[in-house]
This record gives sequence, C-alpha cells and structure tokens, in this order.
Amino acid sequence: MADLDPTDHEIADLGPKVQEIDDVDELEAALELEEDGEDRAGVKTLIESRIETLEAEDEDVDPAEADLTELTVADIANLVRDVDDVDVLEDMLEREQAGKERKGAITQIENRVEAIEGSDEEEGEELEYVPPEEKYPDLAHPTADKQYVDTAAGEDYRDMWVYCETQQGEFVDVAREMLGKARQLMDDYNDTYGGDEDGNPEEVVAVVIGDEVGDLAEKAIAYGADRVVYHEDDRLERFRHKPYTEIFCHMCRDWDQDWRDYYEPRYTIFPATNNGRDLSALVQGELDSGLASDCSDLYIDEAMISNPAKTGKPGDSVEFDRVLHMPRPDFSGFEYSTILCIDKPFRDFHPQGASVIPGTFDLPDPDEGREGEVLEHDIDLPEDWFHIEVTEHDQLEEGIDLTGHEVIVCLGRGIDHEDPTEGIELGVELRDAFADAELGLTRGVITASYEFGGHVEQYVGEERQIGESGQVVEPALYIAAGVSGAVQHKVGMDESDTIVAINTDPEADIRDFSDYFIEGDLFEVVPRLIEGLETGDFETVLAEATDD
Amino acid sequence: MHMLVLTKGVPDFREGKVSFDEDGHLERGKTPTVMNPNDKIALRAALQTKVKCGGSVSLMSMGPPGYKEILQEGMADVYAEDLYLLSDREMGAADTWATAMTIATGIEQFDAEPDIIFAGFKTADGETGHTGPQTNWCIDINEELTDRPLITHVIAMEVDEEEQVVRAKRLVEGDVSEIETIEADLPAFIVTDPEFEANYRKAEHRLRYKDCREETRERAENLDLEEDVTVWNHEALNLDPDFIGLDGSPTIVSGVDPIPKGPSERDATMIDPDDEAGMEQVFETMAEYAAGD
Repeated sequence: MADLDPTDHEIADLGPKVQEIDDVDELEAALELEEDGEDRAGVKTLIESRIETLEAEDEDVDPAEADLTELTVADIANLVRDVDDVDVLEDMLEREQAGKERKGAITQIENRVEAIEGSDEEEGEELEYVPPEEKYPDLAHPTADKQYVDTAAGEDYRDMWVYCETQQGEFVDVAREMLGKARQLMDDYNDTYGGDEDGNPEEVVAVVIGDEVGDLAEKAIAYGADRVVYHEDDRLERFRHKPYTEIFCHMCRDWDQDWRDYYEPRYTIFPATNNGRDLSALVQGELDSGLASDCSDLYIDEAMISNPAKTGKPGDSVEFDRVLHMPRPDFSGFEYSTILCIDKPFRDFHPQGASVIPGTFDLPDPDEGREGEVLEHDIDLPEDWFHIEVTEHDQLEEGIDLTGHEVIVCLGRGIDHEDPTEGIELGVELRDAFADAELGLTRGVITASYEFGGHVEQYVGEERQIGESGQVVEPALYIAAGVSGAVQHKVGMDESDTIVAINTDPEADIRDFSDYFIEGDLFEVVPRLIEGLETGDFETVLAEATDD
Repeated sequence: MHMLVLTKGVPDFREGKVSFDEDGHLERGKTPTVMNPNDKIALRAALQTKVKCGGSVSLMSMGPPGYKEILQEGMADVYAEDLYLLSDREMGAADTWATAMTIATGIEQFDAEPDIIFAGFKTADGETGHTGPQTNWCIDINEELTDRPLITHVIAMEVDEEEQVVRAKRLVEGDVSEIETIEADLPAFIVTDPEFEANYRKAEHRLRYKDCREETRERAENLDLEEDVTVWNHEALNLDPDFIGLDGSPTIVSGVDPIPKGPSERDATMIDPDDEAGMEQVFETMAEYAAGD
C-alpha cells in the first residue's frame, strides 16, 4: 500500500514529497496509482527518477574499497562528490596513481580534496561588499547605471530555456536536436540534484517566435519540452533582431506567470545559425549575462574555480555546482576551450547561455505521447521595434553538393607550400581527371584569407567546406592533398571507402585515418596523378618521375 | 558621413606563421599578431561607402599598446582616416560582454554619433560572432534612440544619403540558405559577412577608390604611432574596473585543450612518391574512377 497517492497532489507539490521517500516499493506503488489515475508524464518521470536514484545508491561502491581501475572517470567524479573525508580521498588518489593514472580522474579527486579543505578556510572570512564609490573614488560612477547593466545578486534561477528557431514555417533541425539534448540534460540534472534547491524538478522550456507558430509549438513537446511559450504576430514572419530579443527577454524575465516564479532562467540554449547566434548574443547581453557560441557539446557538472574574478579571493578555490560546461572549438579550429559562465561575488551571471553548432546532437525521435503545456505570450509590440524593413527574400539555390560523387578531391592548407592559386588549379585539374568527382576544401583554406587569383576565386567558399561545420561526404575515393586532418575535418570524410592522403609531414593526424599516405609535396605528386589519369599510362609517368 | 570600423588583433593562423608548443597549445609569443581578417571586410564596406558618399572613416580597437600597429595595418591595407585604441590593463582578458561594454563606452566619447558603425563577423581567435551585436546593444549615446538598427551578415550594401537609409542584402542560414533585402534608417550598425563583396560599378567610383587608397597608404607610412593614435584608458572612459576586462566578464575559460587526436582507425600504407611499386598501387586504386576518353 502506498503512503503517497500522487493523484491527490499537483506536480509542483510532489517534488519534495517524492524525494523524502526512501523505499523503492512504496515508490513503485505510487507510480502504479499515477498510471491508473491521472497518468501525468512529469509525475511519472519524477517518481521513476527517484527510483533510479535509490537503486543506484544500492549498488553503491564504497570509495574506500572501490577498485578504481574498474570505474570510468565519470564514475569516479560521481563517487568523490559524496566523500567528505580527506583521508579517504587521499587514499583514492594513491590507488589511482598506482593504477591507471588517468589525468581526468586525478583532477576529479584533487578538486574534491581542494573543495573540502578550501571550505574549512573560508569560515569567518566572509567577503564584504564595497560600493564602487569607495573602491574607485577617482571615477565618476555611471557604469553600474549604464543601460543593460543589472547588478542582481543572489536571485533564483531555474529551468533550461531553448530557442526553437523556425524557417519557412518549420523548426530547423537544430531546434529539435537541442530539445532532445535539453531533455537529456535536465533529466540527468533532476536525477543528480533532485531538482532545484527546494527539490522541485526543473523543466525544459521551449520558446517559439514567429507568424502562426501556435500549431508548431505543440510539436516541441514531443521533442522533449515540458512547457512551450510562443508569440505569434504577422510582423514576426521573418527574424528581426529587436522584437525577437525583446520578446524572448520579456518571456523569461518579465512575464508574470505562476509557474515562472523565478528571476531569470538558469540556462538558455540557442542554435548557432546566423540569426540564432545573433539572438543569443543580444538576449544574454540584455539579461546581463554571458554565453559561449558554437558549442560542440554541453554538460552540467561541478567546477572548481580558482580565478579571483569569480571567487573574490586570490589563492582560494571555490566549488560552483550546476555549472553548464560549454566546450567549443576556437582559435580557428586549432584548440578546444571549455567556457563557463559563473557568478561573481555580489553579481549574478545567469542565465548561463550557449549556442550549439547544428548537427552536434542527435535528432531525437518525437514522442507523440509526451505531455506538456503550451502557453501563448502576448504583449504589444511597438512599431519602432520594426525599424528594419525586409523588402525581399529569396531562397538561395543550393550551393555545391559534394555528396553523392564517386571521388572527392580535398585541398588543405598545404596549398600554401607554394602558390595557393596554383594549388587550387591542381585540385580542379585532378577533379576533372575523374569521371564523377568534386572539389572540397578544409575550413582552414576558406578562413586563411589567401589572395587567390581571380580565376580560382569561384572555387573558394564555404559551399565547398568539408567537415563538422561543412558537408559530410562518403565517396568511394577521397583524396586529401595537403590536409593535416583536424578532428573537425575527419568527421566530414572518415566514412569514405578509400582515403589517400598526400602530405609532406608523415606525423600529420590524417595518417591515422588514411589507407594510403603519400609522403610528398602535393605540388609534385598531384601533377603526376593528373598526367597518369589523363593518359592512362602510369608506367611512363612513373618512370619519368623517378628518372628526375 | 562619419563611419566607424571596429577591429581586433589576432594571431596569424596562416600555415608557417602560427606556432604551437609540444602539447599542441598555441604559442602566442611566437605567433605574429595581425588584423582580424574579417575586420578587413568591414573596412572594405566602409571604404565603399566613403568612395560613394564621401565622409570619414575612423578605426577603433581594444587591446594592448602593440595594437597600434594593427590599426596602422588596417589604415595602410584598406582605408582609415583616424585611429582609436582603448587600452588598459584593466580591460584585459575581457569576454564579449565586457568587450562590448568597453567599446560601446569608447563610441560614446565621440561628439556626434557615427552614421554607420561597421564590425566584422567572428574573430579568428575567439570566434564568437557576439561582439558586434552586443556592442550595438550597449551603446547609449542618443536619447532619442535606444538602439540603432542592427544589420548582420551583410553581403552587399548601398547607402542612400538623401533619404538617410541603408539598403543591404543579408545572408540567412538555416536548413536552407536565404538572402534578405532590407532597408533601415541611419544611423545603423552593420556586421559584414565573410561573403561581403564591395562593388564599384561606376568609373568615377573606381577612380575615387584608387585616390583614397593612395592617400591612406601615404598617411599610414607617415603615421606617428605615439601622436596619431588616440588612446583611451578606463579612467578616460570613466569605466569602473569591476565591469570591464576579466572582472566584468560573465564567462571564463576553464580549460584549453588541443583538438583531441582521433583514435587510429586505418592502417595507412606509407608511400614514397619516388617508389614506383607503391605509387602504382595508388594509381590502380584511382584509375577505376578516371574519366574515360
């Protein structure tokens, strides 16, 4: 017999009640009552996740005894979170160092030690707020009063808000990808933290803005939203920076709703499309917070921060929890940075915002049975928000389709070993030597600002880019000339049947995913390939070459 | 017409210029700093407007004193009349929010609001694409106007001085690509797309373009970096250090990793181009797809 009958309660009240129950059987009974009764998806998730948590606890490993070599770094991260005894941690550290010695695992354990020891020192050493007039007496003090500066501190933040961009009356794919990812992140979040600080589950809120988007809004639920907020107006048919920003901010900050009883969202996620990226920058600017653009992953975890700009105390490390980690490629694709948006003393930086590269996350299968709430947002939109008039719009003819060809010839930055223009010419010639081939480029060639001769300029553009942010190809034959093989490039071509690399550097990363690696300069090798293919007489070409 | 172009210095990522340490991290000290390539595109849009409508072009950056040379490069390479640098230790390590706050305050120092502010799309190092839009959002210079129209991803533009409007084409990407034609009143804030193309269809424009380039090259050569670049620090801008630089930045970089190397998935046959047998093997693989006669 269940002590708790969920059907007697509103979902909002159930969070804390469910968290109090430690008996799996009792929860199973409550789940059954809900299924037979109101069968609310949110309630079932709540109970199921509590059951999962309890069951996971049963299988708990004892950190003092655990065989760390059996655990993943993520398992260790979860394990150390609940350990408060520094001796146990030190012992774990020794075992890890003696065992697999994984850098990630060691960092996790060390951070936990630091968190515990750090928190001891903090006692009695509260930071004190110094007003700017005292801190910098020589300055006149308008900065905090400047437009858009909001010096909120210690406010409430909840939920993950997802901007679902539309185009021609449909969600763009990345909108659905983000909803699927947001669902997963917030399910894990509610499992890990048991909901918000009061034990209530936090939600995925989808935002849809446009003309006649009410029907579309319903679909966001099937992809993972708990709640959908939409605003429709015929003037919003196409994206406009000003009204879209104002509407988004009003929805999540100013809109008076019983369910939105918090200051601002905890997290906001946008697509890294041209318009989505702009909107992300403006919304986060208006909400006086930060964001990372073009993320290639997202996860929520603790973060040990020693940066005094965030801790307020040089030398100390402070643990921040529920932090959205935002890894992204930057430095022209040479490095990955993980960006965090973190409060500082006496100033909140929430929501933590991100934009996501389209195609990063899997497109989820819609669950038509999912339940959620759709709400219309309606405020007056002043005419002067529409200060940009869209007089015309045309769909661009699809650029160059690199998919579906037998052969792809791809050029990388190796073309600047000699003249980049000549490099492109060689690539085009090689392409033309095949029956069904196209020319592709790495991102590096497109962003390098080489000065190309006018006759080859037409070949250099994003429409020929292969890789993470370009096209993904899988031809029978892939020839990579002067391509170093960055991981972003790899994802665009590593399903090709046969990969031939031409590179002067035998240590280039592309060697690891090539079938043939011709160690030589493309300016010498490619002309021979062209001649051989054109004449069909390789032997003569080879003989000539080796005679040189 | 007063035009302002925003720019930033970035590591020169071209092959042969860029330098990495053993762990694959960028070595800033060994890599030369150059003007962000996308900002040159913004300068081209400003130059096109200057050639057709007249007026002056200012160039502004935020960064260390060495960025004066970046400003000079922009002046010599494209076109600029006067140069501004916002420079102060307190401004260092700023993210896009703190950068936008600082630059917007710099722009507020002008006696009159620029008619058009130009920015390039992403920088080659941070690669956010946020600073242009956020700067426009922050500028608080004109009581009549809370924000200037923001026109991003501009691939072509014309200014109609008589009507005080700008007409532009912008690139919209999504599941399909679209071109929008828009019209907005001046003053406006324009972010050029990497695909931007300047156009000089009339002969008189082409002549004036040539004159402008010559005139600015001469000016850049004779530039006295100490005298001719206006430098403003946080005190000159009256900006509270808590709101700029690292201290004013909502975001921090928690870790920088070289792009991870994927696991070795294929066992490459190494071929010396001078080895006939090896090359023959590759040729045979390729010949199957060769164009027939």
